[in-house]
Amino acid sequence: MVGIGILGVLAIAAAIGVITARQPVHSALYLVANLLSLALLYLDLKAEFLAAAQVIVYAGAIMVLFLFVVTLLTAGKEEHELPEDLPGQRATAGILSIIVGIVLVALAIKYPGTQLKVALPSGFGGLNSTGKLLWGPDFIYLVGVAIMLLTAALGVLVLNPPKRERLLERRLAAQKEHDATAETRKGAGKEGQGA
Amino acid sequence: MILQLVILIVKIILLIALLMLGFAYTTLFERRLLGFFQLRLGPNRVGPFGLMQPLADGLKMALKEDLMPALADKSVFRLAPVFSLFAALCVDAVIPFGAPIHLFGTTITLDIANPSIGLLIAFAFSSLGIYGIVLGGWASQNKYSLLGGIRASAQMISYELAMGLSVMGVLMLAHTANMEDIVLAQKAHGWFFVPEIIPFLIYYITAFAETNRTPFDLPEAESELVAGYHTEYSGFRFAMYYIAEYINMITVSGIAVTLFFGGWLGPSFLPPIVWFLLKVGVSMFVFVWVRATFPRFRYDKLMSFGWKYLVPAALIYFVATAAFVSGVI
Repeated sequence: MVGIGILGVLAIAAAIGVITARQPVHSALYLVANLLSLALLYLDLKAEFLAAAQVIVYAGAIMVLFLFVVTLLTAGKEEHELPEDLPGQRATAGILSIIVGIVLVALAIKYPGTQLKVALPSGFGGLNSTGKLLWGPDFIYLVGVAIMLLTAALGVLVLNPPKRERLLERRLAAQKEHDATAETRKGAGKEGQGA
Repeated sequence: MILQLVILIVKIILLIALLMLGFAYTTLFERRLLGFFQLRLGPNRVGPFGLMQPLADGLKMALKEDLMPALADKSVFRLAPVFSLFAALCVDAVIPFGAPIHLFGTTITLDIANPSIGLLIAFAFSSLGIYGIVLGGWASQNKYSLLGGIRASAQMISYELAMGLSVMGVLMLAHTANMEDIVLAQKAHGWFFVPEIIPFLIYYITAFAETNRTPFDLPEAESELVAGYHTEYSGFRFAMYYIAEYINMITVSGIAVTLFFGGWLGPSFLPPIVWFLLKVGVSMFVFVWVRATFPRFRYDKLMSFGWKYLVPAALIYFVATAAFVSGVI
């Protein structure tokens, strides 16, 4: 119970860090901390496989890609605030989060921890039970999600084809320019010799 | 309870000490071997056969000035090497170094933890190792460092995929992801490198990329990027990166030995832990051998090799093993 409390505080602190950090890389790092504390929470529930999958997939792969883009885009840039495109979004977010907070607190008062007893299935989050779940009756949904992801990836490729023709034109133009400068240099060299 | 705790703490300290010793003498081993490969002697002046050389190197590293670039992001710059070393050390916690031994009336397993998904835990920690490199490269605020860090992230993500696929065959043959049980399964079925020779080769190639060793050491390619992600690091912070790289070498060798070469199994005239360390030693020799033999890949070739050859090959063998294990063929 104490462990869950500490991890919860860690996760929330990291989540607040994500939105308050000025530097995007710091935000990404706070998100990693958040994901890792979630993985530890899974471990606390004895869901070993979910914890390992959380670290491998989210912290180990997706966040690294995030960082890849963020480091590429923010290198050497000064920190400065951009003007907000949507006016009043901070106030809206604040009001919404207060409402959600009130609902959560109300729920916590209505169902104190002692009353809330959700029976986890045996082997919850373990390697075998997760496998049986995914490859058992829910297999069709797994395939559906997989096809959807594949379609999305293909869609990105189809919607953003590499602009081959323009690339070729640019290359030809560069070649022409290069030849032209070479010509003038040759000419200049000859003139120099003549003089 | 208290005895178990004491044993655990002693084991952790012993493991870290063993890895540090392994790191120190791997550097000497590598430099001497590279010397022989290049028809020279290598470091042999400090102590007999140069055996005190690592001590001298360590002293030099510890006494160097710790530089901090003026524009660096200070907290991330300090955090990055620690992250690298932490991830490198953690992976070894799940590798069984030897058969369980009986001492003081209790059975002591020669690993820190023995979770049912040991293999996945090892992969989870090793996938965290990328952060140290990317963040170190970014925090230095130096073009070369940044390029090194970005190269590292793209390279390690790409090769991790093939690496993960290549070990799945072993997982299916052993019917478990527990490292100890994988070793014991090889006692019954023979070492897994025989049926899984292609996945083993894929694993080994990707291991070179994951540890940023030649021919895949593009994140620190000195002819293009000065020293890549650790250009701005000096003193002990640089040493942490250096230690992490060598411990990663030991780790991937340890995992390869555990998964494909029977772990600590071997004829009984030597104790199991000696067999394990001997096999890891052979693997370390291959790492140095490859470094002395192959030139560095070009970056685009590295990427196309990883995605167009290694991933499909690993995937095909993965499906074939699945079909074989489930009895379809």
